Amino acid sequence: MHLFIDTHLNDIVIILYKDGKIIKKEIIKEEKEHSRVIMPIIKKILNKEELESIIVVNGPGSFTGVRLGVTVAKTLAYTLEVPIRTITSLECMALSTDEEEKIMGFSDKNGYYIGIFDNDYNLIGNYAYLSKAEYASYTEDYKVITDVQLDYLKIIEYALEKEEVNPHKVNPIYVKKIDVEK
Amino acid sequence: MKDIYILSIETSCDETSIAIVKNGNEVVALTILTQMDTHANFGGVVPEIASRMHTENITMVLEETLQKAKMKVSDCDAIAVTATPGLLGSLLVGVEFAKVLSYVYNLPLIKVNHLIGHIYANKIGDHLEFPNLSLIISGGHTELIKMTGDYEFEMLGETQDDAIGEAFDKVARVIGLKYPGGPNIEKLAKEGHNAYNLPKIANDDTYNFSYSGLKSSVINLVNKEKSKGNEINTADIACSFQTAAVEELTRKLELALKKTKIKNVIIAGGVSANKYLRGQIEEVCEKYNATLSLPEFIYCTDNAAMIGAAAYPLFLKGEFADLDLNATSTSRIC
Repeated sequence: MHLFIDTHLNDIVIILYKDGKIIKKEIIKEEKEHSRVIMPIIKKILNKEELESIIVVNGPGSFTGVRLGVTVAKTLAYTLEVPIRTITSLECMALSTDEEEKIMGFSDKNGYYIGIFDNDYNLIGNYAYLSKAEYASYTEDYKVITDVQLDYLKIIEYALEKEEVNPHKVNPIYVKKIDVEK
Repeated sequence: MKDIYILSIETSCDETSIAIVKNGNEVVALTILTQMDTHANFGGVVPEIASRMHTENITMVLEETLQKAKMKVSDCDAIAVTATPGLLGSLLVGVEFAKVLSYVYNLPLIKVNHLIGHIYANKIGDHLEFPNLSLIISGGHTELIKMTGDYEFEMLGETQDDAIGEAFDKVARVIGLKYPGGPNIEKLAKEGHNAYNLPKIANDDTYNFSYSGLKSSVINLVNKEKSKGNEINTADIACSFQTAAVEELTRKLELALKKTKIKNVIIAGGVSANKYLRGQIEEVCEKYNATLSLPEFIYCTDNAAMIGAAAYPLFLKGEFADLDLNATSTSRIC
C-alpha cells in the first residue's frame, strides 16, 4: 500500500494506492487549518503495518500547507522506514494534461506559479513565480494551462518510478521569494 | 513505580529541540539546534525562515537525541510538544511532527504550554517548591504568578503593555546594537554607568508591570541627543535602561514577597539568562529570606527538556491530546 499526500493548496488530498488501483481517496475542501485534519485522516484510512512507500507533493504552493504535508511525510518515512518520493504540484498538473505545450500554472493571492514541461514531463528550466502584472504580459505570448483535473492514478504511478529520497533530505520547494530574500 | 520516559519537542521560535526526560526531572538526552546565526543576518527572527528550518532539521534532531540517549522512540512512554505560545508556523511543525510520532508508536500525546515549560525547567534537579512566586520574563511575557501546586496557578500581575524582553530588543535597536538585542544590552551595560535619569515607572500598589513608558523615554532621549548633535554614550544608556527595567521587576517582586510571605521564588523565560537581573533578584530574595530557584543556564533558554518536565504532571493525570491538536500563537497560563 502506498500513501500519497498533497497539501499544497487549501484542499487536502490523501490517497491510498495498491495493486494498480486507488483504493481510498480523501479530499477535504477549503481547509484552513491543515494541522487539525492531516493526521486524523491518515490514522482513519491507513493501516501503517501495510505501508510500502510514501509520495508527497513538496510544493510549490501554500508555504504552511506544503510544510505540514512534507513534515508528516518525511517523519512517517523516517520512523516507519519506508521509501519516500517527492513530486511537485506543477509536475502533477503536467501529468494531467493532454496538451502538447505544457506550460502549467496556478495562482495564489498575489500571482502565479509557473512550470514548463517537455512531453516526458521533465521540467524545462526552473520554476517561476510571476506577479499578476508579469503574468498578464507573459500570457500575451504564451498559453498557460491552469485548469486541469488532476489524474491521481497517473501521478502516483509516475511518482513511484522516481528515485527515493533520504527522508532527512525531503524538503519543500517554495519558489516564491519572501520579503527578506528580495 | 516504573520509570516514565517522555520524548519532548520544542519548536516555538528559532530553536529546534528534542529531549528525553525521565520522571519529569532527569534529562536523559537533549539536543538544541539553534538558528540564531541565520536570523542574525536579518537582524531578528524571520518567522517563515524559522518554520522552514524546523522542517529541514527536525528528523535529524530526533536521530541525534535518540543516539545520545541510546534509546528508541518505542522505549518512551509519551510524546510531549509545545503547542502554545510562540510563532504559529514554527509551533505547527513541532506539533505535526509530534502527532506522527504519537501515531506511529501508539504513544499518548501531551500538549505543553511553553511558559509553563520555563517554570518546570526548575524541576530538572528538583528546585520546584510550592508555594512559590514565579516571574515569567521573556520577549513576549512579563508575569508574576503564584503557584500553590503542580499546575495550580494564580495570576498576581502582568505587563500592561510591552514585555520586558520586547523593551530590551527595541532599545537595543535604537542604540544600534545587533540581534540578539537583550544579551547585547547586558554586555554593553557592563561598560556603562547609570548616567541617564530615566523616569520611574508608575509606582502603584498592583503587581502589574509596564515597559512602554520606559522604552519610549529611552527612544526620546536618543532622538533628542541626536538632533542636538550630541554624542550618545550607548553604554550609559544600556546601563541606565537595564537598571530601570530590572528595578520594575524587583519592586513588584518585593511587594509580593512582603504581602504573601511566600519563601520560594522562581524566575523563568529567556530574559532570566540576564546575569545582572539575577543578581538584583537574588538581593531581594535574601532580604526576605526567600530561596531563589534558577534553572541551570542551558535550561533557561528555549529547550525541549523543560517541555518534558512540564509534561510529566500531565502524564500522571492522564491529560492527553488527540491527533487534531492545533497550535496557537498566544495563550495565557491562568
